Amino acid sequence: MNNLLAVDAEGVTKTFGSVLAVDDITVRVAAGEVYGVLGPNGAGKTTFLRMLFGLIRPDSGTVRIFGRTWDEVGVGVLDGVAGFIESPKFYPDRTGRQNLAGLALLDGGTRPGLLEEVLEIVDLTDRADRKVGGYSYGMRQRLGVAASLLREPRLLVLDEPANGLDPAGIRDMRALVKRLAGSGLTVLLSSHHMEEVEEICDNVTIMSRGAVAFHGTIAELRRMAPDPGHVLATTDDARALAVAADHPEVTVAPDADGALVVTGPRPAVSAYVAGLVRADVELLGFTLTQTPLEALFFMLTDDFDHQTLVRPVREVALR
Amino acid sequence: MSAARPGVVSALRWELRKLRAQHRARVVLLAALLAPVPIVVIIHGQSRPPKDTLFGRFAPDNGFALALLVLGFASQWVLPLLVAIVAGDVFASEDQHGTWKTVLTRSTSRGQIFVAKTLTAGGFAVVMLALLAASTIASSYLIVGHQPLTGLSGQVIGSHTALSLVAASWATMLPPTLGFAALAILLSVWSRNPAVGIAAPVVLGLVMGLVGALGGVEAIRPLLLTTSFEAWHGLLTQPRFTGPLVDGLLVCGGWSILSLGAAYVLLRRRDITGG
Ligand SMILES: Nc1ncnc2c1ncn2[C@@H]1O[C@H](COP(=O)(O)OP(=O)(O)OP(=O)(O)O)[C@@H](O)[C@H]1O
Ligand SMILES: [Mg+2]
Repeated sequence: MNNLLAVDAEGVTKTFGSVLAVDDITVRVAAGEVYGVLGPNGAGKTTFLRMLFGLIRPDSGTVRIFGRTWDEVGVGVLDGVAGFIESPKFYPDRTGRQNLAGLALLDGGTRPGLLEEVLEIVDLTDRADRKVGGYSYGMRQRLGVAASLLREPRLLVLDEPANGLDPAGIRDMRALVKRLAGSGLTVLLSSHHMEEVEEICDNVTIMSRGAVAFHGTIAELRRMAPDPGHVLATTDDARALAVAADHPEVTVAPDADGALVVTGPRPAVSAYVAGLVRADVELLGFTLTQTPLEALFFMLTDDFDHQTLVRPVREVALR
Repeated sequence: MSAARPGVVSALRWELRKLRAQHRARVVLLAALLAPVPIVVIIHGQSRPPKDTLFGRFAPDNGFALALLVLGFASQWVLPLLVAIVAGDVFASEDQHGTWKTVLTRSTSRGQIFVAKTLTAGGFAVVMLALLAASTIASSYLIVGHQPLTGLSGQVIGSHTALSLVAASWATMLPPTLGFAALAILLSVWSRNPAVGIAAPVVLGLVMGLVGALGGVEAIRPLLLTTSFEAWHGLLTQPRFTGPLVDGLLVCGGWSILSLGAAYVLLRRRDITGG
């Protein structure tokens, strides 16, 4: 049964001095799925992924990859596993191609032509003979993907692959990850952007301060998400507030900047907006504050709400 | 999937490729090959030889004496420095570039990487020392000449024997040089900093030299790495004595095993959190 799991991390804990970086987390990734690990800065995502790669030894807990542990098979546990942690690093004095060729040596060789193929996939063929020291951040990130694909992995582990890229780079990286995920590869992806994960992941673990705050499918997460909030700009906020009295299902309240925020189920919000029009309140703007999943993400990971919100949510989610 | 499990040889090939591309390493080898020539020419042209130095008195006019004078000088700090330029950098440069996580997420184990890097540093030490020795001996021999050598006991040593003894004396530099390479490896694995890996062995070498020169340290003097740098003196006395050479071999072996063992444990246990 365990053999079916690409990743089976159980009760994994890691402390750095007095910092509890990863607190007794359990993550199971089935072969073939696309799995997201979400969390704000410092949540412990990177520390967890480093433990998968054996770069960091957990204080307690076990990490199985395709059913095997580091203690049993040593570096052999990484057979079929590739990816990168934080921004990928290479030897700056060597060209992209030389870096990949060197890493291929450490893999025990690759099949002929693969090096060119992976350069093509990440669109670096033209720049492959330049020194990596002169690469842009985005090019290095793509070379990191190429270096991972060179291992022809069954499990691809990517730690915030779009982090630090410009908008076009983010779009391309997401498309690439999506394409790879679509090819049947098991992908374990960390991110602090809900929208990056919700599009492509089947399952997510949301981490907050080292611990699991949510665990489940994107669909489950959607069901738990709060109603969307909209910022309302009108010619007459006082009248808009008065109209709200006729719509008990929506909440209308000024935010910290004094702008009105409307929250409620979608049909009720539509009815309220129609009411505003009937009451001759001119609508100047109506913009989504955050997507429901984003709102949920903040609720799950916000320090302030941690005790009050996450506990009950976690109990539901892990039931 | 990779066809074969890579071994030390694959890792070694990668290390050698990187070393060959490294400017610093090439400069060191080039210097070992070329620098002895002008040094020999300059000393040959001296009217006032460095009389207080071993073989200094005869150096301007005797090629064998000159090669031994250079040997005495090289063992002060030059050899520790030249060897540390690679040995003190081969591990710490991975920290400098943040590439530990890159190499350790492939199919080669930490142990294999350790062995490959250690062999690279050791191999470099051997090649560097061989070049320096060959260049010094050849240029002294050709530029200054090969008259019979006056030994440390005042005995006259024929040219043929002198050449073998000079070459043998240079060869005795190998154990302490490798000992310093091991020390540089330990210091760089521990500090994770190439500058420390390169400079600290040189400083430690100078300190050991100083301690060895003090009185009242008979108990520890044989245990110093630098003491083996002087073991060759026994080859040039009458009668010859080789005790210090054997002791030196044991001491250098001990230093190397302890340094490399500690470095290995440090690397194996280490959490790779950087990069
Ligand atoms: N080497 C280290 N020494 C001390 N503390 C560390 C170390 N590495 C990580 N930490 C701490 O562990 C916690 C988790 O860090 P980690 O880098 O795993 O978070 P993350 O979720 O990847 O964050 P980010 O989104 O910023 O990448 C943080 O509090 C961090 O300060
Ligand atoms: Mg991180």
